[in-house]
Formats: sequence, structure tokens, C-alpha cells
Amino acid sequence: MVELELTVNEKTYKLEIEPDERLIDVLRRRLGFTGTKEGCGEGECGACTVILDGRTVNSCLVLGVQAHGRKIITIEGVGDRRRPHPVQRAFVEEGAVQCGYCTPGMVLSAKALLDKNSDPSPQEIGVAMSGNLCRCTGYDKILRAVQRAAREVSGK
Amino acid sequence: MKKRGTGLSCTWYGTGYGNGFPDVSSAFVEIHDDGTATVLTGAVDVGQGSSTVFAQIMAEELGLNPEDILVCSGDTDVTPDSGTTAATRQTYNTGNAVLKAVRQAKLRLQEFAARKFSCPSPEGIEFKEGMIGVRGDPSRSMPLSELVWEARLLHGERFISAASFTAQTTPVSLENGQGAPYWPYAFGCQAAEVEVDTETGTVRVLKIVAAHDLGRAVNLTQAEGQIAGGVAQGVGYALLEEVELTEGRIKNPAFAKYLIPTALDVPEIESMIVEEPEDTGPYGAKGLGEPAMLPTVAAIINAIDAAVGVRITALPATPEKILAALAEKERGGSGD
Repeated sequence: MVELELTVNEKTYKLEIEPDERLIDVLRRRLGFTGTKEGCGEGECGACTVILDGRTVNSCLVLGVQAHGRKIITIEGVGDRRRPHPVQRAFVEEGAVQCGYCTPGMVLSAKALLDKNSDPSPQEIGVAMSGNLCRCTGYDKILRAVQRAAREVSGK
Repeated sequence: MKKRGTGLSCTWYGTGYGNGFPDVSSAFVEIHDDGTATVLTGAVDVGQGSSTVFAQIMAEELGLNPEDILVCSGDTDVTPDSGTTAATRQTYNTGNAVLKAVRQAKLRLQEFAARKFSCPSPEGIEFKEGMIGVRGDPSRSMPLSELVWEARLLHGERFISAASFTAQTTPVSLENGQGAPYWPYAFGCQAAEVEVDTETGTVRVLKIVAAHDLGRAVNLTQAEGQIAGGVAQGVGYALLEEVELTEGRIKNPAFAKYLIPTALDVPEIESMIVEEPEDTGPYGAKGLGEPAMLPTVAAIINAIDAAVGVRITALPATPEKILAALAEKERGGSGD
């Protein structure tokens, strides 16, 4: 076992983990952030996306120890029912959720994009969201939701 | 060189289990004395939105908001069987069961209200914005919750019902081909515009226009979502997705080798909702799920043909197949 100190959603945790433990398992099993979903487990689908020091990563491809001393945002840290993030509100308003399994990763990818670029072009949105697979929605309403959230964030 | 072409495709699709197989859905309903209602069905919402549709049907009948309806679904401890979420059947089949059930409980509530308001017939009782009363006479109305409370606590009346709906199909006669193997049928038509790169064989789908007859759109947003989801799956079916087998083993059982469309692969999608009411459906509605992906495939293959004059006859239409067909055509073959 190795010691790990990391910040998740602005709260710092100290715990012991196995050296080969994946970040997704640390988040889900040890810390209970089950909003992070495991899809393919090999970095293709994006369901396990979290924001690590401002950048999206597939948490199934990151070792827990690699997150030592770093800041993570999971879907639980983005917003909740009472105070949803503009991206979450836009997803609801556009009807961008069907089965919902990809949604946490989609929301985090969209948030990470808008944090850096509040006025993205449709092409930039497509590129930013292309690492997150969705089988239900055809992406149409997801892309519209990100555009709507961008308009709200940028005040346009 | 990049060449563009457009293609068209039509589909008709028999929804439900078909061929006389017992296609049954059931629902339990209760109207409560707090102005809410509950519906229990075995129908599982896997994201297509059936629970929302059932809440809307309940709310429409009772003059409530969909938020006032508790939908309990897919719990074998308490819900009656409503069959599988498959065959494009839940809105039609279980929607019909929910409508039938809620109308039974509603009729008993109307009968109670007719006595209360001295209205000669239960049909004269209407439900509107949380109120129940005599049609066209606001002075003889009261909140639904209060009337149900009065019925429950002063008269011991409960507004609980159960109903089943069975789709009407028959097996096809093997002797003469006669019968009604499916009911209802869904119809659709899609047009695709594609751009084919004749040097690399890659196909980019630029736009899909998808017109689908769904009888009546119970929920327009969800209907559009189903169409877009179907189109994206159709794009994958047409251009990307192939299960490669070696001696019965799948060679590509992972997203790294089995490609499905990403946000960059889906075209602009314009959906056209055609509402030709289906007499046997809830408010005229019928299914949309599976038919949405079927015409996409043929429309794309036809558009490739229109763009570069080659007919692809095995899916998916990969760059390798398109380049081989173009080379064949160059050599003077038919391109087929």
C-alpha cells in the first residue's frame, strides 16, 4: 500500500491505496464518487472522464498514485439538482440525456472546454466532445446543449 | 477528388412482437388524495423515455402536471408485466395499457364527482389544471385532491384500477401468405447527402433529413432524440461497424477496433415528424425507435452511388471497399 493525498471537488483526502490501483477505482470504491462511470475500461469511451488539474482525463487510464497532490473535479463537484452548472441545465433543457450513462463524462468534457474557451465554434465543440461516446442520442441534442451552455457562460 | 451525392431511402416496419405472439402490457393505477397519481408498469425505460410518456398520459387524462405522476417501472416485486423494451412497442403497447387503466379509475372518479356536483352524466365532468368539476361551469368545481380526499375519508371510495392491452396480430398462413403479422406499421423516409473522397475512399455524411410517421408525437423532444440516435446508429451501420469473426471468435470486441460514430462523425440531422394518427394507439401514437435507423443505411449507400457511381453491396462501406469498387469501375467493370 502507498499513501495518497489528493483533492477531489475542493476537499482534500488522505488515504492508502494499492500502487496499481486505477484512479477510477480510488474515486468510486474508496471515496464513493460513483457518478464517475466505467464504460470500456481502456480509454476509448470517455464515460469515466474527470477533470485533473483543469484537463480532462480518462480515469480508467490514470493510476491513483499519478493523482498525488493534484486537484480532481468529478461530476459530483460540478453542480447538483438545486444548483446545476449551466452545462447541466442546458442538457436538461435540450433533452440531451437518454440512458444517461455517458452524461457525467459529457458534462465534464463540456465544462472543461467552456472553462478554457467560453465562445467555442461548433467544430471546437465537436472536437472537445469527440472523446465521449454516446450510443443513444446521436449527439445532436448534446452538441446543441453545449452551444446553449456556451451562450449562457459567455453572456451572448 | 471530393464528390458529393444525395440518396433517398424509405422504410416500413412492423412494430411489436407480431405473428400472433401474445404481446401484452399491463398497468396498475391509483389516483391519490394529494393531487398526485401513481402508475405501475413492467415497462423498463432504458433512456428512450417511456416513463415520461406514461407520466404524460396520466397527466393528460387527470388534468395534472407530469411532475405530479409517480411512475414505478420494471420492479418485478410490484409491477405487472409489460413485456420487453424491444420491438418499438412500449409507447404503443404499454401506453395503451396505461391509458386504459387510468381511464377506468378516472371514470369512477367522474361518477363520484357527478353525484357530488349533481351533474347528470360522468362524461360531463372534466379535469383541468388540478381541478375537477362540471364542464363549462367553474362554480361547480374543486381541487382534485380535495374531492379524492372526501371520497376516500367520507365515503370509503378508492380510485384504483388495473388494465391490460394486447396488440392484435395473427400468424401468417403458410399456405396463402395471408394474415396480419404486425400492427401497427411505422413508416419513414430519409435523404442523405455525402461527400466521397475518391483518393482515400472515405465518406463524410454531411446531412440527413429524416421524416418519420409516428402517429402522434407524445413527446416531441424525445421523438427527435430517437430519430437522431437512430441516424447515428445508421451512420455506424453504413460506414463503420463490423463484427469481425475468426472461427466463431470476435476479433474486435473493443471500441479501439470496433468503431462507433463520435460527435465528429454524425451529420447535421433535420427531423420531420409526420403525424398520421394510428386509430389503435394512445392518442394516435405508435412506435419510432427501430425504424429511425433503418433508412439511414440505404440512403447513405445510395448517396455514395450518386456521388461516385459505385454500388456497395456489403456493409459497412469502408474506404477499402469503395476504393476497390472505384478501381473496378476504372478497369471497365460494372462497379457492382
